[in-house]
Amino acid sequence: MKRESLKKSIFRKFRSTQSTMMVSFSLLMVLAMLIFLFIALSHTKNVAFENSVEATSSITKQVNDNIDSYIESMENIAAVVANGSEVSAYLFSNEEAAEEEQLNKNRIVSQFETIKNSRDDISNIAAVGNNGKYIVNDGQDTLSDYVNIKNQRWYQTTLSSRSGQVISSSHVQNVIPSSYKWVITLSKALINNQTGKREGVFFVDLNYESISDLCNRNRIGSKGYVFILDELGNVVYHPKQQLMYGGLKTENIDQIMRSDASYIINESGDDSIIYTKSISAKTGWSVVGATYASDLLKNNTQTQLIYFLAMFLLLAGVLILSSFISREITKPIRELKDSMILVERGQFEQANVEVIANNELGSLTKSFNIMTERIQNLMEENVHEQKEKRKNELKALQAQINPHFLYNTLDSIIWMSEAKKNEEVVLMTSALARLFRQAISNDKEEVSIREEIEYVKNYLTIQKMRYKDKMDFEIQIDPRIEGIPIIKFAVQPLVENSIYHGLKVKDTKGNLQIIGGIEGGNAYIEIEDNGVGMEKETLEHIFDDQKKDYKRNGVGVNNVQRRLKLYYGEAYGISYESKVGIGTKARICVPIEREKRYE
Amino acid sequence: MKERKDMSRKVKTNIIGIGSILLFLIVMGIYAFGEYRQENERNREYHFVLIPKTLDNLNGFWTSLIEGAKLGASEYNINLSVYGTYSEDDIKGQIEKLENAILEEPDGIIIAPTSTEEITPSLKKAKEKGIEIVLVDSTITEDIGVSLVSTDNYKAGVNIGQYAKRLLDEDSQIGMVGHIKGVSTAVEREAGMREGLGEFEEKIREVVFCDSTYEKAYSLTIEMMERYPEIDLIMGLNEYSAVGAARAIRDLGLAGQVNMVGFDSSIEEIQFLEQNIFDAIIIQKPVNMGYLAVEQGIKALQGKNVESYVDSGSVLINRGNMYLDENQRLLYPVSGQE
Repeated sequence: MKRESLKKSIFRKFRSTQSTMMVSFSLLMVLAMLIFLFIALSHTKNVAFENSVEATSSITKQVNDNIDSYIESMENIAAVVANGSEVSAYLFSNEEAAEEEQLNKNRIVSQFETIKNSRDDISNIAAVGNNGKYIVNDGQDTLSDYVNIKNQRWYQTTLSSRSGQVISSSHVQNVIPSSYKWVITLSKALINNQTGKREGVFFVDLNYESISDLCNRNRIGSKGYVFILDELGNVVYHPKQQLMYGGLKTENIDQIMRSDASYIINESGDDSIIYTKSISAKTGWSVVGATYASDLLKNNTQTQLIYFLAMFLLLAGVLILSSFISREITKPIRELKDSMILVERGQFEQANVEVIANNELGSLTKSFNIMTERIQNLMEENVHEQKEKRKNELKALQAQINPHFLYNTLDSIIWMSEAKKNEEVVLMTSALARLFRQAISNDKEEVSIREEIEYVKNYLTIQKMRYKDKMDFEIQIDPRIEGIPIIKFAVQPLVENSIYHGLKVKDTKGNLQIIGGIEGGNAYIEIEDNGVGMEKETLEHIFDDQKKDYKRNGVGVNNVQRRLKLYYGEAYGISYESKVGIGTKARICVPIEREKRYE
Repeated sequence: MKERKDMSRKVKTNIIGIGSILLFLIVMGIYAFGEYRQENERNREYHFVLIPKTLDNLNGFWTSLIEGAKLGASEYNINLSVYGTYSEDDIKGQIEKLENAILEEPDGIIIAPTSTEEITPSLKKAKEKGIEIVLVDSTITEDIGVSLVSTDNYKAGVNIGQYAKRLLDEDSQIGMVGHIKGVSTAVEREAGMREGLGEFEEKIREVVFCDSTYEKAYSLTIEMMERYPEIDLIMGLNEYSAVGAARAIRDLGLAGQVNMVGFDSSIEEIQFLEQNIFDAIIIQKPVNMGYLAVEQGIKALQGKNVESYVDSGSVLINRGNMYLDENQRLLYPVSGQE
């Protein structure tokens, strides 16, 4: 029970099925779209991330390849010089004559010059012997007095390494005093051809720019960059090397060197950096691409915006459509509801609902239509039955003959007999006899106006004889209406009223006039007297249900009025006009044609 | 009547339903728009102007400082313009450059003032226009800049002064070659050196100012040596004065007899150090200085906490430690090489 009421209360807020449907559809749509949006966004983010990692890693590979091929070309140069006999001969042979030595030196210098001139990325080229002999660049440059080349690490590793060839990390070349430049030194051990041992080093200093250019050529996002670490994790090149040296910037080098993963996410500060690295087999260097997560996010924000916008538009469309659809779906329900309101008010005629669909609502509508029709029929039957019942009741009433009237008449006859007024006795008795025959014999509800007037005439004959001095009467009936049927005893009660309330109480002799004719397509009978007339107030209450007065005919005016209206409809019946001291006019109006009668 | 009431109620619930969904959508829209705005704000490119004391590209200090500022600018997505004269004593020229920079209405101006006072009115004007001002290397007498980024010159002076004491005995005499008289760096360094020298302070015979030219430093040193031949320690207060004096000592053939200490570094100065003409030099960290100045500027613009003074640090270099990797990196900046 409780649960049911709870369930109800959710939807109770909405007064119409349409809004319930619409709101719940829309909410479901919003929910579904949000879920979709969430999935789509996270997927897009992942895809963007993977794409970026992939792009960065291909860039780092590219840079690595470029560096490798660059170093390889340098190695070739170094090999040509180092393996040539002149260098070994110049550095290590002591027996040669000074002249020849000079000649040899010149040849080497010109070779150096040729190399240096063809490549502007070479800042120094030199051959150094352990014995202290050396040639640097054009042969004029000297080694520094303050720095011993043999103590340099790159010099020592060149001699000790297995391959006899070393690529240094970036460093300041301070063995040659005039330059002090940042270089990368490619060094190759020189073999003394006489001893077969490594007794010197040939080296080429590569401009730092040659490497930095290779890295700078590639941009990763708007803020990303490429940097190079040697196999020990020393920085070979970094675009912000100087900041790192100044302690203002750090890279998570330990983690980069240790990791074997294809990428590393380093969350430092308010922005995280994604590292992708590629290790060269040739140099042993790691080329690392650094991408800022905010760069990825920038595109992501755009995507988000587009998604949001699309969802917004879609939802707006869904709202409009769902409002339209729910209206269409609930249309039959609304029509049924409207129709039920009509049925509530008893307007069955307009209550029929058009069947639109073939679904449950359609059959519901059909059933509703059938139901209303049946209700309508039942109600009509009921009304008819009630009417019949009333008619029968009234008939029973009208059939009664007022015993007072009979008594009075018989009294008059006795009185006249005693006075030997035979003719009058005969007249009155025959009139009474006719009256009674008419009243009793005819079982029909309706009689012709002729018969009704005949009845009234007999009644008036008797009454005139009784109130000789009081009244006179006159009957004028249009022969055209004589055949028209009228309910039995419709006119007599009105005449009786005229006599008893109009003429009888009048001091002088009164006159009663009955006129029948046609007016406006209807037949009318007017009963006009010049009696005392009625007060306005009395006139207004004339049709009220009065107490039966058994002294007179039991059938009252209101009874007649109700019967007339029952038989002929509301448009017909009795109307009164009256003025005090002048008289009263009652008018009965009945239809001419039977077809027009109310059934 | 009843029907109409029903109708209005229906309309009401419909309005509430549609309204709540619309409201939801509007809220989401505003949220998305807000994100977008924030993103734009984050990507906004600020405009800074850097006015160093000189654009002389032979001067390692200033080229490094400019390089550091450029690195900072790229780090913080700043469009950096560098204006300046080619002489450190061209105060009028610097004011002119500053006035021009103000017309550009940048977000921030980073300036190394060549004068403690003459440049103040122009800086005030810039500040009134809502431009953030960061002083770098040198300061001015009035407190206008949002931050000062420089070497703690006094501290550096104390450092070299104390170092110099080992070169002195009771008969020693000291000569000082300053750069520009009254400039904050010169004043502070001299004061620091005097403090560092302690009881040897009274040995200072003369302080000369070379207006940051090698030639004047050279000639002033020669003249000073003529006046006080007993001088056996010369202290240079910046690169121009130190190198100019060293050239004079070398040319006078007094290398080895007259000890020298100095400020700043250049290839020539380093060579003098290698050649034992200098015993020690104090090097500043111009790259850091430039970078930190930009950082302070952007912090001020973004309403973050800004320190009114940032010491960019200094290092004492002598022959013993000059070949250490970390010192090599400071002595020979990677960038700024030709």
